[in-house]
Amino acid sequence: MQDRYHHEMSSRVSLIAAEQAPVSARHLFADGDPGPLVASWAQVPELLDTALPFVGMILGASSLSVRYKELAILRTSALMQCRFCVNAHTEVAVDVGLSESEIRALRGELPLAEAFTATTEVALLRWIDAVAGGRGSVAQDIADAFTGQFADFEVVELTMLIGATLMLNRYASALQLPNGADSIDRLQRLGYDTGLLGVFA
Amino acid sequence: MTAVREAMESGAISRRMWFYANYHCNLECSYCLTESSPRAPRRQLDHRLMKSLTRQAADLGFEEVGVTGGETFLDLALPATLAEMSESVPVIVLTNGTLFVGDRLDRLAPMLGHEISMQISLDSADPDLNDMARGPENFAKVVDAIPRLIEAGHHVRVASTGQAPDDASQEALCVLHRSLGIPDEDHVVRPIVRRGRGATIDGSIPAGPDELFPELTITADGAFWSPFAPTVFNDQVDTDLLVSRTVDPLSLPVQRLIALAQGRPTGSDVANNIR
Repeated sequence: MQDRYHHEMSSRVSLIAAEQAPVSARHLFADGDPGPLVASWAQVPELLDTALPFVGMILGASSLSVRYKELAILRTSALMQCRFCVNAHTEVAVDVGLSESEIRALRGELPLAEAFTATTEVALLRWIDAVAGGRGSVAQDIADAFTGQFADFEVVELTMLIGATLMLNRYASALQLPNGADSIDRLQRLGYDTGLLGVFA
Repeated sequence: MTAVREAMESGAISRRMWFYANYHCNLECSYCLTESSPRAPRRQLDHRLMKSLTRQAADLGFEEVGVTGGETFLDLALPATLAEMSESVPVIVLTNGTLFVGDRLDRLAPMLGHEISMQISLDSADPDLNDMARGPENFAKVVDAIPRLIEAGHHVRVASTGQAPDDASQEALCVLHRSLGIPDEDHVVRPIVRRGRGATIDGSIPAGPDELFPELTITADGAFWSPFAPTVFNDQVDTDLLVSRTVDPLSLPVQRLIALAQGRPTGSDVANNIR
């Protein structure tokens, strides 16, 4: 199974292969490789049963636009220098229609101001940077700008999304989860640095 | 009636729960599920945990607990632990029966007077055939130990593992166990299962969730579907029949096993006699 992955760094835990998938997780492997998050969580079936719906709810379809969600996920992942998540969500960002300059700005390769000018998105990105990159409470002016642009339920969902992404960033980075070899090839053909050297370092 | 008792009443899960007390062994049998040997990692279960989970099992409605390994009696503290466990539910402990030479049998004294059965492996009435799978001198040690254990007051059963024997071999084995003091109802015959070292043995039978009766099994690596599930192949513990890593509180793996068991077809395990 690991042969499907890019091996610049190898995972620090075994990724469960389909034939070793616990009974409760077999359906997740039925259509092929479920990806390293699921393949690692399958080490602990009861955790997988809880984590997957949680992550699916937060990262998947919801009341928020896909665009806002990818701004939050990719920016947070870049701030956390999570190579696995940045690579995975650069690909998602391409697929959902973010421009190259927007993607490079989110990844820290361009100033955000060069790619994002809409008041709502600027407020969101300042909120993301403060939540994902800061400690303690968020400055009042950043919070006011953000909550002034988004309804409470959106504030809740976006902030949970940033928090869940932080959790996944640290998990994937610590365990050195590998991206798929196909994804790395595609990103490199598109001209993206898949090693993230120097970004936010 | 609780959901657990209902699941037992309906036959969805076994009324018996198992522990893998350890994985190391003084023998190295050719069909061993767990690649046990003197060199195998011990992976012992903490005795306080075994006692606590046995009490929880009794409260949940389990009616019997089994303890297997590895060679269980390599742990000298096990007899006293078994005695305490048996105050909650009857206990059956599996052993290769080779450690009870001389006065070592006295170490089992704490078990006397408790509802504890010992199940000893003996595969053939032919010493050479038996020892081919289980190791040199195994036959001699076992046929020496069984009558002495019975005489000392222990309840002993015999388990025979192997490919389907012909009638003559089967009868010879039964004549032998009767001569050792083991009645027919205390003789269990089991097939070689296609897991662990048995995975490469011709004629072994497949053992997945469709073939194995759900019988919760607690190990140092978590809770598994059946005592035939926490197997080892090429030094790696198989996870395909892992139910949960959490074992305490016991209600968590029990509930997960019930949920899994109720989504499976029933009956094929009975045909294979993999219980």
